[in-house]
Amino acid sequence: MYEVTNKNGVEPVAVDDGQPRLEDPGVVLSLLEADQVVAAKELMRFGPQKLSRGTRAMFWCLRVYVVVMMIIVLVSVLQAFRAAH
Amino acid sequence: MDGSKNDPNAAPYVHAHPTTESAAASAAAPELATLLTHEDVDRARDRWQVARARRTGRGAQKFRGVRLLWLLIGPGVLVFLGENDAPSMLSYSADGARYGIGFFLPFVVLTFLMGYVVQEMTVRLGAVTHRGHAELIFDRFGKFWGFFAMGDLILGNFLTLVTEFIGVRAGLGFFGIRPTIAIGGALVIVAGAITTGRYWTWERITMGLAIFNCLFIPAAILARPNWHSVGHALVTWMPLPNGNRYEILVLILATIGATVTPWMLFFQQSAVVDKGMQPRDINAGRLDTMLGVLLASVFAIAAILATAPLFHHGINAADFQAAEFAEALQPLIGHTGAALFALGIFEAGIVAAIAISTSSAYAFGEVLQTGHSLNRPLRDAWPFYLVLLGSACAAAGLVLIPRFPLEFVVLTVNVIAVLAMPPALAFLLLLVNDREVMGEYVNGTWANVAGIGVTLLLICAGVGFGLATVFPKWLGG
Repeated sequence: MYEVTNKNGVEPVAVDDGQPRLEDPGVVLSLLEADQVVAAKELMRFGPQKLSRGTRAMFWCLRVYVVVMMIIVLVSVLQAFRAAH
Repeated sequence: MDGSKNDPNAAPYVHAHPTTESAAASAAAPELATLLTHEDVDRARDRWQVARARRTGRGAQKFRGVRLLWLLIGPGVLVFLGENDAPSMLSYSADGARYGIGFFLPFVVLTFLMGYVVQEMTVRLGAVTHRGHAELIFDRFGKFWGFFAMGDLILGNFLTLVTEFIGVRAGLGFFGIRPTIAIGGALVIVAGAITTGRYWTWERITMGLAIFNCLFIPAAILARPNWHSVGHALVTWMPLPNGNRYEILVLILATIGATVTPWMLFFQQSAVVDKGMQPRDINAGRLDTMLGVLLASVFAIAAILATAPLFHHGINAADFQAAEFAEALQPLIGHTGAALFALGIFEAGIVAAIAISTSSAYAFGEVLQTGHSLNRPLRDAWPFYLVLLGSACAAAGLVLIPRFPLEFVVLTVNVIAVLAMPPALAFLLLLVNDREVMGEYVNGTWANVAGIGVTLLLICAGVGFGLATVFPKWLGG
């Protein structure tokens, strides 16, 4: 049995040349990070970020940009389609 | 774990924070040990392989670095070879057929480098947070902005999926295979890849298919390109394209859209999470992404070189679809070259269909908070698999409609991808600079300069396209 200590210095991970004993929950947990376990991810979430006025303005500008550009694409496609037929 | 105890209306969860703490060492370990899922066990099996390959000194494996790279590559190679999809290869082919060897060769390399800049950020986001892109957008920016991001993604993904099946139909059409058989066969391959119930197996099958993107290389060699001109073009960006400036602008936009698109952000981050990558794997993830860039740019250049003879022989390729490219190439590069080209288009379509439908399914699962992992069995995560296969079936069905305007969809998809990219990049840049989410792995100055530069370039390209469409006379149209 060998121990591989990861770069961040957290719990050593036990590995050997055989197959992993994954029926042991302790082995499974030793191989995953704390927030990598599905149940932990369901319990813990990154809460909402408080958006500054500038960020909200940027989001709106980009949204208007996308809508306007999509309309332009749609019009140009319809024009090309009409010209082709 | 610090709960949000001050706010009585707060959601019933605890605030996550970036950590590299082992699950076994966490305070919640006894509770987590009773809640382990099939997905956790499969992921732990993959991590065990990585830990074994990483050990040094006594017991270290032979070719340790190569083995580690083999275990950790996947999302980066898949995202870039997936993005070398049917409409992208057709865009590159149109570049070669209309303008020959020149400006578009180095331009394609530049767009792939832009792709690397943004995709590297998704590797870090996925490895540090263990959460997909859609999930983080909804968590950090709320449902209002989240649904806008999802709207862009779903529309873009669906239209792109349609074009993938157009590629499949057209590629196999060259060999006389009927559309219903070609599309049905493609759907069987997509379904076959996802029924393994294991991310690792899915990833290896898809990578095995993706490597056939290299079919464009022998097709390019059979086109006997002038290597001196290729070298000259790569260094000098000359000759510049001549002709209708509006068409050139659309082709430039389509070429950018062939390399940087919203689905790639969502796909790679979710794939990094599903693969179980951790912060210590970030450098391997970067290498994986760079390998993807290298392979995809070589294959894209090969597509340009393969179709350049059409330009040199003055053949008008303005309205060509995939099969027509192959048929037009046949007298110039031979039946073998044309057949390789057609097979390449088929392969590009099938791999991208798998990757893009998976990207949609990941995003749906993350937003609806249902199981969203290829490590989950079908019965555990049926909504995830239903979205994956359902979106592929719907797109495939459209392609079989007689007289469906396939060419317009192909041309428009890459342009729409470029237009939808700036908001997606804004979310990405905000997330990757968010210290609450990324901890010490936030963007450095140069990553921000490059990321903002790419975003501004895409906005300028989009605005240029808009102005040229509304005021065609500005470009001499």
